[in-house]
Amino acid sequence: MASFMFLLHDNTSMPEDLSAEDVQGVIEEYLAWRKEVANEGKLIGGEKLTDDGGRHLAMSDGGIRVTDGPYAEIKEALGGYFAIKAADYDEAIEIAKTCPHIKYGTKIEVRQIDEINLADM
Amino acid sequence: MVSEKAVNESIDRLFRHDIGQMISVLTRIFGIGKIDLVEDALQIALSRALKKWAFKGIPGNPKAWLIQVAKNHILDQLRRDNKSVGFEEEFRKTDEYAHKADFIDSVYFEHEIFEGQLQMIFACCHPSIPVDSQIALTLKTVGGFSVSEIAHAFLAKKDAVAKMITRAKTRLRDHNVKLEIPGRENISSRLEAVLKVLYLMFNEGYTASIGNELTRNDLCHEATRLAKLLAAHPVTSSPKTSALTALFLFQASRLPARNSDDGTILVLAEQDRSLWDRGKIADGLSYLRASASGCEVSEYHLEAEIASYHVLSKSFDSTDWKSLVGVYEELLERNPSPIAALNKTIAVSHVEGAKAALTELNSLDDRKLQNYYPFFITKGELLHMTGSPHEAILAFEEAIRLTDNEPIKRFVKEKIKRITSDI
Repeated sequence: MASFMFLLHDNTSMPEDLSAEDVQGVIEEYLAWRKEVANEGKLIGGEKLTDDGGRHLAMSDGGIRVTDGPYAEIKEALGGYFAIKAADYDEAIEIAKTCPHIKYGTKIEVRQIDEINLADM
Repeated sequence: MVSEKAVNESIDRLFRHDIGQMISVLTRIFGIGKIDLVEDALQIALSRALKKWAFKGIPGNPKAWLIQVAKNHILDQLRRDNKSVGFEEEFRKTDEYAHKADFIDSVYFEHEIFEGQLQMIFACCHPSIPVDSQIALTLKTVGGFSVSEIAHAFLAKKDAVAKMITRAKTRLRDHNVKLEIPGRENISSRLEAVLKVLYLMFNEGYTASIGNELTRNDLCHEATRLAKLLAAHPVTSSPKTSALTALFLFQASRLPARNSDDGTILVLAEQDRSLWDRGKIADGLSYLRASASGCEVSEYHLEAEIASYHVLSKSFDSTDWKSLVGVYEELLERNPSPIAALNKTIAVSHVEGAKAALTELNSLDDRKLQNYYPFFITKGELLHMTGSPHEAILAFEEAIRLTDNEPIKRFVKEKIKRITSDI
């Protein structure tokens, strides 16, 4: 069994005129999905990242340059992640397809965690 | 990697009125002049919750979480504004706000919420605001309805509702309306206005005047909830408040039986009485008893009494129509409303027969009724019962012309079809 990250990309702008019912409905969908994946023993975890876009570090001119994100023109940021177990990319993709984030987020980036097992060495 | 800890799966439902409660509580702290900031802050808290809870699960106390996030946002905003202007005094005030805001963490609960909501209702139903806007503003700030939900409930354009609410809030600021329950000297007239708004809110919900649904139960439930709040407070509880609450509960008890599964309307005679909500009826009866504590008999008392006859009869046939005619007469004596007069003719038809009822109906000379579709439905029924099918059809056709409610149109068309096939 391999491990995968679902990187949940989000719109950074705030929706307008949200109602309690809207919020409840969306959360219920996510939680139901989460529960289902967990019941199959395939959920490793999930976290939300803060909305501030974080800090970006890079070497520049011999020093480390730290910048704030997101930039005003960027409409999308990494909002959080789910970590799941799946046999391979095909299965991971099937699971990602059922994730409500497909509907409510901007995209899901599926990445396999590169695990090095002792047996491989 | 974070391991999967227990995620709160039991979804603590977040109701609209929870949002309304939060608006009341926060506006109470920051003042009615900051109501827009409060509402924006709650929107931000909600959209944060949407993302955070979706990924992580719902926290143990979602309401406390939301109010904390909203509160922090408001404080940040106030501090930022002050910084740009540089008023020391404002800074001090903000610290006071912060102190009060911390305080609500402990007393955010029942009492604070309760008082806060009642104060907000009185502000929303302030005489400086037109009645239509009072209803919209009450739904928005006390009921926690979103603008789209209100627009849906009244089949109005979203922009129009938003404008209406903005104007109403401006009036609150211009008139420097305080968040308070009115004092003894004017509680009576202010309470009267609040009860009227709830009455209209319930009515609009009970038979939606337009649209594809017969009823908008949300409005009925919200009106009932607010009436109960008023009935529970020593200053706003009154025999009249109890009577109105009883009326709402009796009417609401019948909501589950008013539509058949395919959405067609079921009239009183056709309703499955086992679907009526017994809990609401019992609740209504205790409010009705409480309403009898004074010497005042209001129209709400009489309307509640009429509703009680219906919910308490075992079957349509065993309805005490004779007593109902009596209560209608009393109601008409106080307020010669053409609508009450029309309803009375239905009771009369069961006591003295359709012919007598038709005579009485024809004697109702009121222009208002000429645009009131139930008048023509009743007229059609009575004409049909007295053996005038052609005239009955004309009356029904007039009813269809006068309503924009789709289920009612379908209901009347069905009647015409049945009569036509019998001719």
